[in-house]
Amino acid sequence: MSLFPGFMHWLVLSTILFSIGIYGVLCRKSALGVLIAIELMLNSAAINFIVFNRFISPATLDGALMVIFIIAVAAAEAVVAMAIFVAIFRSRKTVDVNKFNTMRG
Amino acid sequence: MSTGDFVYTLSFYLFGVIAVIAALVAVTSNRILRAAVGLAVTLVSGAAFYILLNYDFIAAIQVLVYVGGIVVLIIYAIMLTSSSELVESRPASLRKALAFLAAILFFVFSVTAILKTNFSVESSESPPGEIAAALGRMILDTSSSGYVLPFEVISLLLLAAAIGAIVIARSYSPQATGAEKGKRAA
Repeated sequence: MSLFPGFMHWLVLSTILFSIGIYGVLCRKSALGVLIAIELMLNSAAINFIVFNRFISPATLDGALMVIFIIAVAAAEAVVAMAIFVAIFRSRKTVDVNKFNTMRG
Repeated sequence: MSTGDFVYTLSFYLFGVIAVIAALVAVTSNRILRAAVGLAVTLVSGAAFYILLNYDFIAAIQVLVYVGGIVVLIIYAIMLTSSSELVESRPASLRKALAFLAAILFFVFSVTAILKTNFSVESSESPPGEIAAALGRMILDTSSSGYVLPFEVISLLLLAAAIGAIVIARSYSPQATGAEKGKRAA
């Protein structure tokens, strides 16, 4: 592998970012921390789409369009998550995911 | 190696290191506001990656919507749940070790899969000229290769998310609800 950033370098970079996101989702206690880690994973998936578009089929723009859709869905998700956190905080005074156990059987 | 290639290589590694360090801050910092700033830095370096790959329009959208919208929203959520002065207690070391193991396993498996796969990489120079115009034509294309239906579905999703967020986060004070009024009248 040469030092010049080619296809593999980009893929490995986005894989590193996704792995960091997985670590964050699994070990965060605050629900907001989990949301931040999920945004990291979404962003690395978007980078992957752009990289595949650029190197596999540079004549089309399907990957770039997917990135726009990913960003729109991420925005919707962040809005709903924030509303849920505010509502939960109002009733339980915490956003610790270990304390969200109302639906536990 | 020409000057352009040198700058490309240098910026790739520079922004790559910045993105990885900021992402690590975003997932390990026990101050949640610092984690949000780390996320913002990672997203800005993501925009730099898009510029390096010649997708300037996507980079602009990334900065506008992701950094300008979503990160600000997360910071608002931090303020509203007053987590900013709250220092998150360190997660248990077993939980940390398991999360680390899962992340490392995912990384090793994916990189092995990537290295073993034969991608048909085309070394064409750059994407079609004006990305914004081409994207607009693709989105509003009603033929079978167009994306007009997903575009409409996304707009519906955003509307539903906005209305749902208002309904969920609205404060229901006891005086405002109809049941309470009825009780008081009775």
